[in-house]
Amino acid sequence: MSIVGLLPHLVNGLALGLLFALLALGFMLILGLMEQINLAHGSLFALGAYFAYAIATPRLPLPPDMLQVWAAVPLGWRFTAAMFLAPVLVAPFGVVLERLMRRTYGRDPLYGLLLTFGMAMVIEELIRIVWGTRDYMLPVPRGISGGFMMLDLIWSTYRFWAAGFAIVAMAIVWLVIEHTRFGALVKAGAHDSEIVQALGHDLEKLRVWVFVLGTMMAAVAGVILAPIWGIRPHMGVDAVIPAFVIIVLGGVGSFWGAVLGGLLVGMVVGLSGAYASEWSMLSMYLLLILVVTFRSRGLFGKKSVLEA
Amino acid sequence: MRTGHTVPTLTPAMIAIWVAFATVPLWIEKVGLYQYLGVEILIFATYALAYNLVLGHSGLPSFGHGAFFGLGAYGFGLAQLNLVPDLWFCLGAAVVVASAGGAIVAAFISHRRGIYYSLLTIAFGQVFWFIAIKSHAITGGEDGLLKIARLPVRLGVATFDLTHNISLFYFVLAVFVAVSLLLWRLVHSPFGRILKAIKQNETRARFVGYDVWRYKAAVLVLSAGLSGLAGGLFAMAQSSAFPDVMSLHYSGYIVMMTLVGGGLVTFWGPVLGAIVFLLARDVIGAFTTGWMLWFGLLFVALVIYKPEGLGGMFLRPARRKPAGAK
Repeated sequence: MSIVGLLPHLVNGLALGLLFALLALGFMLILGLMEQINLAHGSLFALGAYFAYAIATPRLPLPPDMLQVWAAVPLGWRFTAAMFLAPVLVAPFGVVLERLMRRTYGRDPLYGLLLTFGMAMVIEELIRIVWGTRDYMLPVPRGISGGFMMLDLIWSTYRFWAAGFAIVAMAIVWLVIEHTRFGALVKAGAHDSEIVQALGHDLEKLRVWVFVLGTMMAAVAGVILAPIWGIRPHMGVDAVIPAFVIIVLGGVGSFWGAVLGGLLVGMVVGLSGAYASEWSMLSMYLLLILVVTFRSRGLFGKKSVLEA
Repeated sequence: MRTGHTVPTLTPAMIAIWVAFATVPLWIEKVGLYQYLGVEILIFATYALAYNLVLGHSGLPSFGHGAFFGLGAYGFGLAQLNLVPDLWFCLGAAVVVASAGGAIVAAFISHRRGIYYSLLTIAFGQVFWFIAIKSHAITGGEDGLLKIARLPVRLGVATFDLTHNISLFYFVLAVFVAVSLLLWRLVHSPFGRILKAIKQNETRARFVGYDVWRYKAAVLVLSAGLSGLAGGLFAMAQSSAFPDVMSLHYSGYIVMMTLVGGGLVTFWGPVLGAIVFLLARDVIGAFTTGWMLWFGLLFVALVIYKPEGLGGMFLRPARRKPAGAK
């Protein structure tokens, strides 16, 4: 296949990789400070997508006349509202999850993994009870839907827009972590929680906020990816696996590792899709196994609690 | 735990559990359940015991065991449809295929432990699951492998038909008895004690001079093979093999069963867990949609407050009281 033939796969892979990176960053934020694997991260992602669907289509439990007023609002506004409201609505789930996990702090991180797997099952079942098992599609406003022509190829506008949004979201997270007091505390807490507590900071409150931030990132990723992947009950499990693959690949505890891991996974999935589209998702596991076989802590990993 | 070197091959608790299971076909329909459920419980109990060899006895938190169960199911089905339709041969194929899968995984991950072990077993589980779904020509893709027959048991002098659920139940019970006996012996053998040492402190076990890597690899292969045996039985019970059982969900279910029953602290815990899991599915499922909501919450509560599981609750007052008895 020629280079030009590969180009769309490469670009789509890059776009996908940016979205994967966004998904993985929330996962890593929680892993970094809390030293907890949150297997329910994907379920929070799924909730974001479902809430966005409810807000944008709109199918809300509101009085009929209020619903009519909201339905008359242009889709562009409803979509924007969904993007900002859905993460806020998912945040309380993250708070509940953090409450439950509190009992496992300081114990073998396996308990956190088991607990969040249980919660992933619970949330997935809740989704089935509320929304049923069918698939939904999140409608995209006209301005960013459809496609455009470039280099004699058709490109999906939404994918470019989604990738751009992912970059902005990740830049915000980077600024928060690297250039705010909150970020400094988060990093210090991950490094040495006892000292941070001894200095008079409320680590418990900090943990809740980190969890809320991670949860909202999962939900944002859910909203952005929903028009590409579709919305279905097991999308949570489908999403959490790439997230952990990226984290292990990039190295636990590394911001740029997560970003690079996301891009790598996206490109490998995109490029292998060019040759064997059916098998493209397999490539990310093979990449993970390959990298981790030779670099046991991933690309940028440091020693972490996971190796206890 | 007993400190002596000899643990009896047969214990009263063990025999009580076997006898209790043997009476199941007599009353299961009278309490409003059905014969096939008994078969399913025994298969999953066998699977959970095999899984617990890794989780409970060696401290290796595999999250991809569904792959081995599924490999066994496909091994059984493919051997029957393409090679020789003989029960012993096909069950042997199930064990061999699953052990081979286990050996591949073991080669890559046996130097790992803890969470990394979990994460890499998830990745390998996904690889097998994905291959099963996409290899339409071999596995039938998402529809699965259909028309797997319940082969008769040929014992030389006599032949038993397994098409009825009750006769299948007793055959599966025989396998369960054999597997539980084997695992009981193994866990209480010198090999089992080394596994326990590795579970408690891998570094120390290595310093004492044991080749930890080899033990961890061996135990995964063994557990995979026995899980595959259960998978082969499942393919026969369902008359089909499908990729669902290899998914992360199912790999997680077996962890849930094992932990809920108390696999971390008792030998028979996984059996209790399989019973509770499948009964919850049918009984809670009969009253509400979304039984997993309730079972999931039970599981979460146990992880938080009582990681020793239901079996651990029985264990507190009287030491070593079996948890699997009804």
